[in-house]
Amino acid sequence: MAERVGIVAVAQTKYQPNRDEVNAGELVWETIEPVMKEAGVRFTNDDGDGDIESIVTCSQDFWDGMTISSMGVMSFTGGHHATEDKIAEDSLNALFAAYAQILSGHFDMVLVSTHTKESMGDRSIIESAAFDPVMMRPLGLDFFIAAALQARRYMDKYGVTAEQFAKVAVKNRGNGMKNPVAQEPMNITVEDVLKSKMLVDPIHQLDTKPISDGSIAMILAREEKAKKLTNKPIWITGVSNCYETHYLGDRDLAECDALVTAARRAYKMAGITLPAKEIDIAEIADEYSYQELLWMEGLGLCGRGEAGRLIDAGVTQIGGKLPVNTSGGMLSGNPNVVAGMARVAESVLQLRGEAGERQVPGASVALAHGTTGACGAHQCVMTLSNK
Amino acid sequence: MANEPAQEYIQVTYKKPRPYRWAAGEYLSRLYRECRDNKRLMTVKCQHCNEHVWPPSKVCGRCKKPSGDNWVVVSDKGSVVQFTYTNFPMFDPHVGKYMTEEHPFATIDLDDCEIYWVAKLEEKDKDKLKPGMRVQAVWREEGRGGGLDHDILYFRTIEE
Repeated sequence: MAERVGIVAVAQTKYQPNRDEVNAGELVWETIEPVMKEAGVRFTNDDGDGDIESIVTCSQDFWDGMTISSMGVMSFTGGHHATEDKIAEDSLNALFAAYAQILSGHFDMVLVSTHTKESMGDRSIIESAAFDPVMMRPLGLDFFIAAALQARRYMDKYGVTAEQFAKVAVKNRGNGMKNPVAQEPMNITVEDVLKSKMLVDPIHQLDTKPISDGSIAMILAREEKAKKLTNKPIWITGVSNCYETHYLGDRDLAECDALVTAARRAYKMAGITLPAKEIDIAEIADEYSYQELLWMEGLGLCGRGEAGRLIDAGVTQIGGKLPVNTSGGMLSGNPNVVAGMARVAESVLQLRGEAGERQVPGASVALAHGTTGACGAHQCVMTLSNK
Repeated sequence: MANEPAQEYIQVTYKKPRPYRWAAGEYLSRLYRECRDNKRLMTVKCQHCNEHVWPPSKVCGRCKKPSGDNWVVVSDKGSVVQFTYTNFPMFDPHVGKYMTEEHPFATIDLDDCEIYWVAKLEEKDKDKLKPGMRVQAVWREEGRGGGLDHDILYFRTIEE
């Protein structure tokens, strides 16, 4: 069996929009400083003296408005004269890259940092640029419109309802009330969601996440080192990613084959055969409320078309058999790109027993999920354990 | 194939700029305010290595530690280290248009602070450009506060 890799320290900012008082680097520093302190480690200097051997950053050039978006934060992540790589996808993939770096034998300890200041740019214009410029972009699509097409197809094919989507928004924004870093927690009802402004049919204002700024840092270490640095290492037990296809017309948007594949591979690594039974908590990308249900099905946590019934039955609420998005999810406010590591940050807190009011008693196996692109074009799945 | 007409290749063009509003943040905002309001350059001296951190930053990239709060005024005079000039118009991202007036670019070693800064030179005569030439910032009369290149027009050759 391969040597294990553990997450030894985690820090995340409070998520909020319009952080005009900090630039991207200063936002990143808000999580770098505490994570280094928590692990009790130092950056490596020019003489080779120090602990962090490699830095993986995760940001997206269009969101940052600069090519090589890692440049703006390098002074803050210890990048000077250091090994540095940037991932430009959901940040769950940055953890995947850091994990692989350690398993490769090159490094014992890697710092992972992600940030996005969505407030700096225009969401629709930036997302539109993800579509190829000669075929799809002239249509004026953004991820939001694409998501609405997917939600509608999901409803039509599997009979999932707007009320069930709204229940996800109610649950997650309610969970956010118990999370001090949540941006927009709310005590709301299904009626509130359905009466909120219809933005792109069938997605209401409260079915989608707010614009958000934030950063997260984590330190990953090889097993032997991880055990020395903390008495609560959280182990990455399985991880995989998989890409769908660019053209939305090539897909049945009610299906998520790439997610099925990514999950199957991750579960195989982790030795998980019955995910719904073996996983204690799941953090799932919920940029739009319907996605939590659709991705639950792709992740094999229930059968196709069954996720709506699980939300009806309260299975996924805190206190249910499989709590989903105890953090409050993206619906309570996480920036794109940062979102995947936010899922892991919550998983780590839950598996350490440090999730406060929203703690799931005895949680020992967590699932974290992240997506990149329109309608879950790229999917990443990670399983974690405290044992 | 030989009898087919010549191909017409289509290009899809976009001209709409992408708007951004970047936060300069705590340290750069201080520098930009000083430029706008007092027509002077300021930065922090790192509390660990005692070097000037340029541009001013909360973290010293060399030490990988907080640079501290020791703000000092730095000279707006210096010596040209190297220079170049363009023979085509440069794009001004502030206004989204090409610049009508071209100036040579130079790296300037600001006096007494080990700060090397790329800026524009007023002198356009190629024969008068040389490494080591002494220059000083020419400040815009009415500061704008949108960054150094808003408030400093260029560096002017000085005799000393």
